[in-house]
Amino acid sequence: MNVMKRIGIIGLWTLLVLVTAVGTAAIKQRFADGPNRVFSGGALVSGELHRGAEPDWAFVNQTPTIELQLLDPLQSRRIWTASVDGKLYVWSGYMNSLVGKLWKSWPAQAERDGRAVMRIDGVRYERQLVRVKSGDGLQALTALINEKYSSRTSPGAIDSGDVWMFEAAPRTTQGAK
Amino acid sequence: MQNLYARIGAVVAITALTVLLIPGVDDAVELVFQVVVLVASG
Repeated sequence: MNVMKRIGIIGLWTLLVLVTAVGTAAIKQRFADGPNRVFSGGALVSGELHRGAEPDWAFVNQTPTIELQLLDPLQSRRIWTASVDGKLYVWSGYMNSLVGKLWKSWPAQAERDGRAVMRIDGVRYERQLVRVKSGDGLQALTALINEKYSSRTSPGAIDSGDVWMFEAAPRTTQGAK
Repeated sequence: MQNLYARIGAVVAITALTVLLIPGVDDAVELVFQVVVLVASG
């Protein structure tokens, strides 16, 4: 009994250290130039800001992840991306699950104010996130996503709201919202 | 009891300062967290 109590006490101290360490690392990352792996980062500061003609986004299909920052709030995260027919897309899955509802706040924030900055291979791009609510015509995109990330996205998942798909369109002169 | 609170405060402070000040510790913590999340979600 004494041994079990001692193990329990050591476990509680270990848990305290782990929770403190994870919390501190997450807070520290908020003040960094971009996200790390899973923790959100601060504003994307470094990197040349792209000006000029719309790039050929096909190159992102060879890029595992990109950094996405919203202007409101000024937070960034690492996400998956794909490009089809010259359009750039980002998305968030598991939106109908409890984990998605608790963990993923950026899709709702992006729907309110879609102004975003993306950093891809060290270059920053100003974009406007526009939610695509219907999966009609996105068969090629979901097929590409499934091939690139070995996932199981479908147009039906977009229709049902389990996947929130955004086109990262050029920033309009009107700007926000 | 007061002694216990002081100990908890000391552990929290030392852990937080270690993560904040020693380069690489935050990255290692995040890696461990990522693995835990991946295992839990799997």
